[in-house]
Amino acid sequence: MTYPAKGYGTYGPDPWNQTSWDARAAGNFVCGGAGAGLIVFAVLGGMGGGYVGWLILAGLVLVGLGLFCVSLELGRPLRALNVIRNPRTSWMAREAWVAGLLFPAGIAAALAFPGAMWAAALLALAFVYCQARLLQGAKGIPAWREPLLIPLVVVTGLVEGGGIFIASIPLHRTASLALLTLFGVLIIVRMGVWLAYRRRLAGVVADGARAALDGAGIVLLVLGTALPLCLIALMASMVLSVEALMTLCLLTGLTATLAGSWLKFVLVTRAGFNQGFAIPQLPVRGAAR
Amino acid sequence: MNKPPDIEHVATYCYQCVAGPDLLTVKVVDGIATEVEPNFAAADVHPGGGKVCVKAYGLVQKTYNPNRIRTPMKRTNPKKGRGEDPGFVPISWDDALDTIAARLNEVRAAGLTDPSGYPRLAVSLGGAGTPQSYMGTFPAFLAAWGAVDMGFGSGQGVKCYHSEHLYGEFWHRAFTVSPDTPRTEYLISCGANVEASGGVVGVWRHANARIRGMKRVQVEPHLSVTGACSAEWVPIKPKTDAAFLFALVHMLLHAFPRERLDVPFLTKHTSSPYLVGPHGYYLRDRATRKPLVRDTIRGAAVPHDTPGIAEALEGRFDADAVEIGPDDEVLAEGVLAGETAFSKLVAHMAPYSPEWAAPICDVAAQTMRRIAGEFIDHAHVGETIEIEGKRLPYRPVAVSLGKTVNNGWGGFETVWARTMLAALVGGLEVPGGTLGTTVRLNRQVPARVDSVLTGPDGFMEYPLNPTDKAHWSPNPNIRNAYRTMVPLAANGPWSQALGPTHFSWMFLDETPKGLPRVTLPDVWFVYRTNPAISFWDTKGVGDKMARFPFMVAFAYTQDETNHHADILLPEATDLESLQLIRIGGSKFVEQFWDCTGFALRQPAVATQGDARDFTAIATELASRTGLLEKYNASINKGAAGVPLKGPHWDVALPPDKPHPPEAIWDAVCRAASAELTDGRESNGLDWWRKHGLATRPFPRTKWYLYPTLVEKGLRFELPYQERLLRIGTELGRRLHEHDMHWWDKQLPEYQALPKCKDFGLPWIASLEKAGGKAEDYPFWLLTARSMQYAWGANVGMQLIKEVADNVKGHRGVIINASAATRLGIRDGDQVEIGTPQHKVRGRAVLRQGIRPDTLLLIGQFDHWVTPFTKGFGMPSMNSLAEMSMDLTDATGSSADIVRVSIAPAGSAMKGGTA
Amino acid sequence: MTRWAMVADLRRCVGCQTCTAACRHANATPPGVQWRRVLDVEQGEYPDVQRAFVPVGCMHCADPPCMDVCPTTATRKRADGIVTIDYDLCIGCAYCAVACPYQARYKTMRPVFAYGEAMANETKRRDDSRLAVATKCTFCVDRIDAGLANGQTPGVDPEATPACVNACITQTLQFGDLDDPQSNVSRLIAENRHFRMHEELGTDPGFYYLWDAAATAPASD
Repeated sequence: MTYPAKGYGTYGPDPWNQTSWDARAAGNFVCGGAGAGLIVFAVLGGMGGGYVGWLILAGLVLVGLGLFCVSLELGRPLRALNVIRNPRTSWMAREAWVAGLLFPAGIAAALAFPGAMWAAALLALAFVYCQARLLQGAKGIPAWREPLLIPLVVVTGLVEGGGIFIASIPLHRTASLALLTLFGVLIIVRMGVWLAYRRRLAGVVADGARAALDGAGIVLLVLGTALPLCLIALMASMVLSVEALMTLCLLTGLTATLAGSWLKFVLVTRAGFNQGFAIPQLPVRGAAR
Repeated sequence: MNKPPDIEHVATYCYQCVAGPDLLTVKVVDGIATEVEPNFAAADVHPGGGKVCVKAYGLVQKTYNPNRIRTPMKRTNPKKGRGEDPGFVPISWDDALDTIAARLNEVRAAGLTDPSGYPRLAVSLGGAGTPQSYMGTFPAFLAAWGAVDMGFGSGQGVKCYHSEHLYGEFWHRAFTVSPDTPRTEYLISCGANVEASGGVVGVWRHANARIRGMKRVQVEPHLSVTGACSAEWVPIKPKTDAAFLFALVHMLLHAFPRERLDVPFLTKHTSSPYLVGPHGYYLRDRATRKPLVRDTIRGAAVPHDTPGIAEALEGRFDADAVEIGPDDEVLAEGVLAGETAFSKLVAHMAPYSPEWAAPICDVAAQTMRRIAGEFIDHAHVGETIEIEGKRLPYRPVAVSLGKTVNNGWGGFETVWARTMLAALVGGLEVPGGTLGTTVRLNRQVPARVDSVLTGPDGFMEYPLNPTDKAHWSPNPNIRNAYRTMVPLAANGPWSQALGPTHFSWMFLDETPKGLPRVTLPDVWFVYRTNPAISFWDTKGVGDKMARFPFMVAFAYTQDETNHHADILLPEATDLESLQLIRIGGSKFVEQFWDCTGFALRQPAVATQGDARDFTAIATELASRTGLLEKYNASINKGAAGVPLKGPHWDVALPPDKPHPPEAIWDAVCRAASAELTDGRESNGLDWWRKHGLATRPFPRTKWYLYPTLVEKGLRFELPYQERLLRIGTELGRRLHEHDMHWWDKQLPEYQALPKCKDFGLPWIASLEKAGGKAEDYPFWLLTARSMQYAWGANVGMQLIKEVADNVKGHRGVIINASAATRLGIRDGDQVEIGTPQHKVRGRAVLRQGIRPDTLLLIGQFDHWVTPFTKGFGMPSMNSLAEMSMDLTDATGSSADIVRVSIAPAGSAMKGGTA
Repeated sequence: MTRWAMVADLRRCVGCQTCTAACRHANATPPGVQWRRVLDVEQGEYPDVQRAFVPVGCMHCADPPCMDVCPTTATRKRADGIVTIDYDLCIGCAYCAVACPYQARYKTMRPVFAYGEAMANETKRRDDSRLAVATKCTFCVDRIDAGLANGQTPGVDPEATPACVNACITQTLQFGDLDDPQSNVSRLIAENRHFRMHEELGTDPGFYYLWDAAATAPASD
């Protein structure tokens, strides 16, 4: 029998990266946020009249994939239904309830039941909001409990879902300048929220978390903001052929989405340093120093 | 329907380290030990609330450890060595005991000693005497046997508090020294890591003292657990504590008015007023040969014990006297010029100012001045306190010393300076002050104050080994030659382990001139000790062990020492076996009780595998070697802790037949019970199993030696070491008469007033002798105690490893963060620590709480056989340290300190600057 | 009312980990799972360095973040302040573990034994209901409840007291009823300067750290 390679004594007092949630939990936020965002964009896109049911279903699949992913992390998956028992205070329970309503709403929307689309869009927004509140409710992790995390997770979820929507325009051909503009605005808002969030964290998170976040932040800036904005500007310039536009849509969507996914992945798996322990006073041993 | 579990709480004791014994209960559920808990029933008598320290919580795992040896085993590979697989195979107890007995009987036939005169049977026990509380009646077997060499050490006598042991016992019956913690107000602690090594009682008392406001100044190169829990940390340079303490003594003598010192104490209760003659020996009355003092009333010199005199503490006075030197030589006679010992002290200490000491120990002179002032302010000279109706001096200041400070070169000087600090304010052996705890070298009585006998010159008797021509012998009784070389080691039952136990190993291949050639023992028993890990020159010790012809190891698991054994015997471990021991009174470290008595260790669970109670094994060995009657007689006489026949009892065992452990210990229990109650009770094993312990009051006045000395009209032999000067000179003469000059470096340590030197120099000289340069090996490597591990029998316990890892330093070498950065070492990096001859590897642990020129390796690891432990990746100083005559002082000890280099592993750097 | 709370006198603690080990014994937690542990904290720069030892574990907060986030109601707070986990309800999502600012919660997916295969004592104490769910310090609630049923006082009578408190060899850890102004913990808090860990987070922890005598308190013996 060997003991852990890092020894047993790696639990403080300095902060350390949480070991409870790994890529499986990150997958829930990544896929769930993107899926919800996709549903919202699909519904918005469907306002123009086209059939967006497949997109809504694709969004549900992503949400479901995320939930399945995180279920792999559960200690007792056979009891998973217990998750709904505490909607009174728990955002995880609420997320489960909202998911429980989102799926039938989305299927109904795909089946073109009247009003179901709006229900699906609202529930999708509620779902990504629950996820944001869920993550922010983790009081033990300074990078997560920062209140600006909530708008960050919501807006990046919308961007990621929107990105899938944009990237798949070659397939579904549902596009409009308004949606593209909305997408561009959301990308800018995301950057703004990220910068505000990042500034709030200065001096509050451990070095390891800071380094991880900054790395993801650069990806977000370059790949997730500057590049897609440039591509959007290019698309809006109207000088390109349709094929070129399709390619640019794919690139724009992918880059914006992947940067956001990466940010959430890093946030959950690498920037989740806890607060460690600190004492505000040192004890007096017999006589003051 | 489940049957409710059968739950028992079994009382027992823990004495795994010298800070014990302590009491605990084991929760046993359906016959399985599950939990260790305090013994709250003992809370009223145990000075630690009936509790045990973290180590005892490893005992459950110790019992059920799958790595245990569960049957006797014998070696099938005749080759021994680190790279050799012993090929142990299980054998029956009968086979094992027959094999051992055959060898033992061969020895008895050939004669107990070999042609060199050394015992053919050697026994090595670890833990500074603590194995005695676990080995049942094995001491009775050894007593029945006859000549035994217990000097093949695993660190005892050299790595311990050695100078404190010998000089402490000499000066104030203090085998170890403790502050009177419940009353002390101010404590200067030079490297005494009591919060790690003081045991339950030590940390219990010191925690209470802190809350009460006791200020401890920890003077130590690194911020140990004790430094952390102190009011002040003084990061002194390693091995310079003597200079620090000399400066404090200087301050007391030269910076404060004389009346701030305890002049009456010095005058009446020390040899300060004794007149010293022109040759450095006392001026003695020509008729009685008693040392003379100047009586200021009569204006003449009189013997020191003349009633109704007022001794002059200071001054030069002529006297009609005789000055007698070594070997009873009359050095001078007639009207001789004398000076009081105290005046000589004052003059001697004049150069040792704080300004002198500051650059040596890297402590600001102002700090030393302040500490001296605080010490004298807190001494409350002149005050008294009532203890149990007796009015005693109250001096709530003390000085404690730790390992590496109170052993090796400089140990004598440091212990002397500490004792002088106490004596100057009258704080020696009085309430609040600096106390001894127990005796090991003087006659063994339960209370150390009762060991005091009147000796020569108004001092206590001390059983010095002879240095006179008629009685000194170059033929030692055992291989470490303690009786020949170390007069202060006395010749009691414990003296063998207090001689230079590294000599036994060193002399095997190179016996110094004049001593009989050191031979391999025919039979070697090893118990609760792992010299291949815990002594210096681990490689060399292992190689030598491999040459021992027949080794029997009482083996818990396979380890680095029993790797070389011929027979492994599994003895029933702590929670499986039976024994009764004495508790209470005053014992090592900080165990001061208000009662005294006995405690039982009883099986909490059935023995695992085929292990057997040590008492049963001892009886078997005695039976098979024709020693049964002697063995039983020895038990009857008290080898099991209490004589079975006493003034009020007779439970002696019939000597002619073997008795099972229960019968033996039942008798011991009855005897103990009778001793405790003066014969009114005689409770046997059943009673003791239920109650666990029994005590009667122990007067608190017996914590202090001062009342006994006053009662007997004796003085503390301080400051002037006339007796030591005498015996040292005699020893030198005896050695030179036999053309033995290899102890010449050590002889100058025998001084009447020690000089303070650079006590780190021998280690630098040793480095240079090995071909290294000081600037290439700029770091001092030290060790420190781990409470979780100390005494090693639990290095293989997973729980201990797990909890110890919470305390910084258990996973690598501690290095100052700035020093590390300068060397390109980051936290967690693999590093290489080296001397010119050896290199070890480990992880770096960067900390602020250590001097930039110092490295720290906690404990003694570097295991390569012990299961679970061998993968720790924790290096040991022992693999780097040499056994060397140059590094041995006059008491035969050395110290755990080495000059090393450190660099990132695999780099070409040799060390760089500190 | 009753509010059970722990007091740790940091002046006393020597970081010996006896409480850590005793908790492992009393609760038979698997290797590495230390519901009670003691931290080794260093502050400052050489030579002005200080070092302290800080026992930590579940703080049994009055406003426990773990309880709010728990989706299943497995984590609850009793009227006497003890925060409990119903192992049978818990789904092992570990949300509580990241919600806890004191890193007090553990989840062990599979049985782990000290030496690989289970020893007799590990088999005896094996409790698979605690696998793959959240676990943490319970203030030895079973001992408290059994003790109270026997008319004993938690924090005073050892059988009714948490194992860590019982084991502590420097009397650092004390346990008692905060709502009783005469209890040991109430008096310690009144007579000494204290703080709680991460107090600014508003969790109202039930774990007080003493660091100095209060200015106006009489010197105690």
